[in-house]
This record gives sequence, C-alpha cells and structure tokens, in this order.
Amino acid sequence: MSEGQKNRFLRPETLSAVGILVVAAGFLIPTTDLRSISALLPAAMLIGLIILSLLLLLSDQRKASAGEAAEKVTNSPKRVIGAFCLIVAYAVASDMIGFYISTVIAVPTVAYVFGFRNPLGLAIATAIVVGSIWLIFDFGMSQDFPTGRLWQN
Amino acid sequence: MYSDLLHALPEVFALTNFIAVIIGVLAGIVVGAMPGLSATMAISVLVPFTFGLEPLVALGLMAGIYNGAMYGGAIPAVLLRIPGTPAAVATTFDGYPMAQKGQGGFALQVAVVSSSIGGIASAFALMLLAPPLSKVTLLFGPAEVFWVAVFGLASIIFLLGGNPVKGLISACFGVFVSVIGSDPIYGNDRFTFGQLELLDGINIVILLVGLYALPPVIDLLETPLKTDSVEGEKLGTEPIWKALPKMKGYWKTWLRGSFIGIWIGILPGAGGSMAAFMSYNEARRSSKKPDDWGKGEPEGVAAAETANNADTASALIPALTLGIPGTAVAAVMLGGLLVHGLQPGPMLFRDNPDVVFGFMWQFLFGAILLVLLGGSLATNSFARLLNLPRPLLGSIIIVLMLIGVYSIHGRMFDVYMMLGFGAVGWVMDKLKFPLPPVVLGLILGAFAEENLRLALRIGRGDWAVLFKNTTSLVLVALTVAVVVGPMIKRRFIDSRKKEGEA
Repeated sequence: MSEGQKNRFLRPETLSAVGILVVAAGFLIPTTDLRSISALLPAAMLIGLIILSLLLLLSDQRKASAGEAAEKVTNSPKRVIGAFCLIVAYAVASDMIGFYISTVIAVPTVAYVFGFRNPLGLAIATAIVVGSIWLIFDFGMSQDFPTGRLWQN
Repeated sequence: MYSDLLHALPEVFALTNFIAVIIGVLAGIVVGAMPGLSATMAISVLVPFTFGLEPLVALGLMAGIYNGAMYGGAIPAVLLRIPGTPAAVATTFDGYPMAQKGQGGFALQVAVVSSSIGGIASAFALMLLAPPLSKVTLLFGPAEVFWVAVFGLASIIFLLGGNPVKGLISACFGVFVSVIGSDPIYGNDRFTFGQLELLDGINIVILLVGLYALPPVIDLLETPLKTDSVEGEKLGTEPIWKALPKMKGYWKTWLRGSFIGIWIGILPGAGGSMAAFMSYNEARRSSKKPDDWGKGEPEGVAAAETANNADTASALIPALTLGIPGTAVAAVMLGGLLVHGLQPGPMLFRDNPDVVFGFMWQFLFGAILLVLLGGSLATNSFARLLNLPRPLLGSIIIVLMLIGVYSIHGRMFDVYMMLGFGAVGWVMDKLKFPLPPVVLGLILGAFAEENLRLALRIGRGDWAVLFKNTTSLVLVALTVAVVVGPMIKRRFIDSRKKEGEA
C-alpha cells in the first residue's frame, strides 16, 4: 500500500470532497454582489455542494476509521498524467504554433509514446489524418483553424 | 395526433437525410466494436460537427450511431469476451463460447438480427407513446414545467442507483454551470469574472465533449488492450438469408426482450445493460434447457441483444416529451437537440413536428438498416476493426475533439474549457460520480430557473403559486416518491436480509 493510501486525509474521495468544498465556498463570495433573485439558484446549488461535500467527507472518513481501503483511482498514474499533459500540450501548441504543425507532431507522438511504434504505420496514419482534415474541414467546409499566436505577433 | 408522424415521412426519405442514417449506423457499429468507445462518446464528439447541418441530417447521424453502437458492442463481446459497450456484457455469456466452437459468425448474425428487431420495436414504442404524452405536457404552465425539471433531476439522481450524495453533487454542479453567464431577466453577469467568452453561458457541447469524450480517450491510452488476434476469415460466417431460418425459434425471446428493453428504456436511469441482463435471465428461466446457457446457446445472445437495442428509442420517450433522458446517451442526444435550437420537452412536438417525428422514423430505419449493413454486408470486415492500434485511435479522437470544440465559436478558450471539464469528468468517472445528472443539470437548470422566476412573477412573489394546482401537486408527489422510494426499498431489502440471517 502506498503512503498516500495509508494517510486517511489523502484518500481520493476525501481530497475531492475538500476540493468541492473549497471551490464552492470560493464561488459563493461573488453571489453577495448579485440581486437576491439572481443569486437564488446559484447560491442554493453552491450551499448544496458545500453540505453534500461535507457529507461525502464524513462518510469517507468513517470508512477510513472502519479500516475500509480507499478505492483505487488509476492503475498507472504516470500514464494518465502523461496522457493528460500531452493533450494539454497539443492544445497549447495548436494555440501557439498553429493547428497543422501541432497535429503533425501530436498524432505520431501520442501514438508512439503509448505503444504504437511502427514508423511506417505512424507516417501513413499521420498523413491520412492530416490530409483528411484538410480535405474535409479546410477545403470542403472552409473551416478556420488556429494559425498560431507566435506567427501573428 | 399521429398525422404529423405521416407528414414527416417524405422528408426522412430525402437523399441526404437517408444517407446520414446509413453513415450513422456504420459509424456506430465501428465505435461500438471498439472496446472503450461508446455511443455516448461518439455522439459527444459528433455533436459539434453537426452545427452547420440540417437538423434531420444531424439527428439521423445520431439515431444511426445509437442503433449501430448497441449492436457493434456485440462484436468484441462475441469474439474476444470484451464487451464493446457496457450493454454488451450479457452478450459475452453465450456469444464467446459460440465463437470458441467456431460459430462466431452465426453468433454475430443472431446479434445483428436480434438488435434490429429490438430497435424496430423500440422505435414503434417511441412513435406510439410519445405523441399522446406530449399532448398532456402541453397543458403545463411555468410552475408545472419547473416541477417537471425538478422531477427529471430527482429521478436521474435517485433511480440511477449508486450513491445519492454523489448524484446530488453531480446535479448541483450541472445546475451551477447552467447559471454561468448573463442573468436571463436582469442581464447582469454571473460568475463570468470579466471573460466575454462566458457571457452567453457555457455551451453544452463543450461540457459534453469534456465529460464524455476525454475520459475514455485517457482510458484508451492508460491501458491499451491487445486485440490483434481476430481474423475475419475464421468466423465461419454464411450469408444471412441462410442463417435466418435457424433463428425462427427465437420469436418468444425477441418478444420478451423487446418488452423488457422498452420498459427499462422508459424508466429514467436504468439503461441498456440492465435491460440485457434482465432479458437474459428471463429467457434462461423460461428455457427448456437452462443448463446449456453460458456454454454457447444462441438464444442467450438473442435475449441480450434484443433488449439492449429495445432500450434505445424508448429512452427518448421521457427525453423528448418531458426533457428527462432515460440513459446517458439520451442525455447527450438532448444536448444534440439543443444545438439545433430544439428544446426537448412539451413544446418540441408543437413547434417542430417535422423534425421530431422525422427523428422517430430515422430510429426505425436505422434499426432496419442494421441487418443490411451490420449483417449481410460486413460482419467479417467489422471484426477486423478490432485490429486497429488503440494508441493511434486515441490520438485521432483527441484531434477530432479539438476540431469539434474549436469550430463552435472559432476560439481556443472553449478548447481549454473542454479540457477543464474533461479533467473534472475523469475524476468524477473514477470516483463513481454519475455523469448524466451533470448534463441534465446543465440542460434543465437554466430552464427550471427561468420557469421558477416566471411562476413567481405571475404569483407576485408568492411561493405558494408553485403548489396551487393539481398537476403541480402530482409532480411534487412523484418527485417525493422518486426520492423516498429507493430508500424504502433499500430498507425493506436490508430488513429481509437480516430476517433471513436470523
């Protein structure tokens, strides 16, 4: 068992309950500036979230006291973090250096990093994906894609 | 009442609308055949691409995908014992043993014919039941509409099973997201923090793609399954017209499975997997040879596949008439309707009869096309889809997600917001927070608020206006029943268990 699972306050459900509580409380502050009728539903939902997250927190801590193991969120956290970071990096790259360049880099990179390592297959797949996108969306539907802030500046 | 249904038929046969259903069915089978991908995810990714399309083209694609994916899930279930969709779990029980005996092709043919029959029955149920229900709901005023929204949310939270606290958190989150943007009556900003992009609120498609498409992609990359052992030539498939006579004894199973699937589909929160399990158990119970089940009995495949497809169109009965989706896919479909300016609920049938009835016909044709496209043409070809490298598939879906969300308003802000919702969705998924209440909260939240405020204005600020007529009181009673019912049922089961132990 990892350290994180040993510490009852680092259980995933407890952490998420605390996260919901803090965020909901943070969002509750701006509701004071709204008219009462405008603030009614958002305030009700935020207060609801605070109460419910407290209930979730208590129930998870009760489970921890009873010695119940925390539910495992992922089997390979590194792969999950890696996948998410690559997706975010692809979005940022599209924004900064443009859609086509980042797609040409991202498609083979993601596939390679996560286990598909046939160079010819990667090259063909990238060409087909980028070519189809250009043909269908750019040429066929006149869809605009991010051109890259770096080049604009 | 049903004349609108006939008037909508010619439009459905327009070439583009019909081709949309065909493409949808094929795409659905492909998606369903890929373990880890689902109809919900496919429709979420598709919705942003349908902005520029005619409503019936977009809805035809969605109806086709939904029908196709429910059958597609049977392909890896039969060939690899990996259900392509959660609803195909019961198909593995007899489908996989059949494939091991060299009858994989016949198992897939039983699956496609049964799926088609279930889908056709479900489409007829939608056609017959939705119009009269919509007539009743047309009589609703703002107070009743508010209670319908509350009832919808309550039913999806409490009937979905699982932890009601988590369901409530999901719903509160969805409703809160729905109030971001300008106040509908006074116009003042709520939670926009000076971002102009948030003034119009959060587009449902951004939330759908984030919640339903990103987590499966991360799962796809986290644990790539090895599925390169399928060879289409070894399935032993014969032409479907030769296989059909062998299925003539399954009519009772088809009938029973259709009824179970339709009933489960109408109930909010139940879903295709429950329908398939129930149908399988009932068919086994009434079989003359129950001991053969689980060892490769084709009727087991028929029972499961009929029910999980009979759940498709029927899940749209409460969704289209009341705005309450029966399943996660139906919730996503509601989002697809909203994209085209079609507000699900009582007014939909009055304001857009051509579209809504056309959509029902598309469900029927999608189910019929399933046999032609999924059975006789390409069972072997679809089986080969399982050999596609999953990391590559993941990277292609990521690109499609970015294109889809960016194309809504042509801005990267939406893409970043989608990634944020995706991260939240992944955590929610892993910690077993239900996702449909978030979508329903976003759809019904703003709708409920608008009607609540309208009702209060009519009642000059008196909250008693919400309880003044019989319909409102009936809806309140139903909501209370939906909340309290599962608790009483749980207590009853617990007390019986304790009695049994004693």
